[in-house]
Amino acid sequence: MTKSANVTLLEILDRVLDKGVVISGDMVISVADVDLIYLGLKVLLSSVETMEQLRGSPFAGPMQEAR
Amino acid sequence: MKLYLYGIVDSSNQIEEAIYGLRGCGVYSIPYRDIGVVVSEMGQATQGLTEGGVLEHEAVVEKLMADFTVLPMRFRTLVDGRDNLLAMMQSYYRDFKGSLERLRNKSEFGVKVIWPADKVKENIVNRLRSDQTEASGPRRSAGTRFMKEKFERYKIDEEFQTKADQFIKAMDMFLGKFAVEKRLETLKTEKLLLDAAYLVEKSQACDFREAFWHIKSAHPGFKFLLSGPWPAYNFVGLSKHDPARDAEQANLFAEVARSQALVGAGSV
Repeated sequence: MTKSANVTLLEILDRVLDKGVVISGDMVISVADVDLIYLGLKVLLSSVETMEQLRGSPFAGPMQEAR
Repeated sequence: MKLYLYGIVDSSNQIEEAIYGLRGCGVYSIPYRDIGVVVSEMGQATQGLTEGGVLEHEAVVEKLMADFTVLPMRFRTLVDGRDNLLAMMQSYYRDFKGSLERLRNKSEFGVKVIWPADKVKENIVNRLRSDQTEASGPRRSAGTRFMKEKFERYKIDEEFQTKADQFIKAMDMFLGKFAVEKRLETLKTEKLLLDAAYLVEKSQACDFREAFWHIKSAHPGFKFLLSGPWPAYNFVGLSKHDPARDAEQANLFAEVARSQALVGAGSV
């Protein structure tokens, strides 16, 4: 996976796993291991060095225009 | 039949384009009054909805963004059957409708800023040391030295935080002009100075980007990341709670009112 794809993926994971509409109530099936996925992601995100290694890469994801 | 939810859209019309979502399942909209909920039928098996599915989820929401205002659901939101789904829509309709109105013609941009934290700290330490050299007095006891060192660490941390706040305030004044809402998280780690999400009118997106590039070019020692436009993942907080919790809260209020009546609090 390229560096730019890594950054794109981190940005996507940060949103899709941790943000967005959360429905509570019995009608929704709770999927607890999402938290586990996010926990792993947090470790990644906390590692600023991960982002630093990506400096200067032209992020070219479908929605990204980051530098 | 389990239904996997991608998002809520501001139309009860069917999606015209053929979209495929998680595991290649067809995506369609189930109307409820004047809005819709976009789903895939997942059968009984829900295994495999792991990291790879995140990209498929996001791809569906992005496609919906082209034609609708979307409230993106959090990954792996599953509802057990159509009846439960309609009950959920009935329960949350007012919240969904309000959020869709608020987010119409807006999208989210992410901004991350990494600053040279080591250098910033080093400068603070050097300055404090030079102040101390100028004001050096007689030899101190071990206890006094301990207290002094502790105070110095506190001063360094305090000044570090002040510098971070100053930078963020200046930057936010610039970017905030083009945003209608924002979420700022500062110093998540020492180096990650800012992790922000801005909600921007589509008509202001170019100005927002321009402001970002301006700030970036003014801070060559910093590293900046701009991403977007995104669906408004960071701005879809709902006020609606589940009915059981609401009922529990109503009971609690009734109980408090009864207790107050018993002790005559209302007559004071």
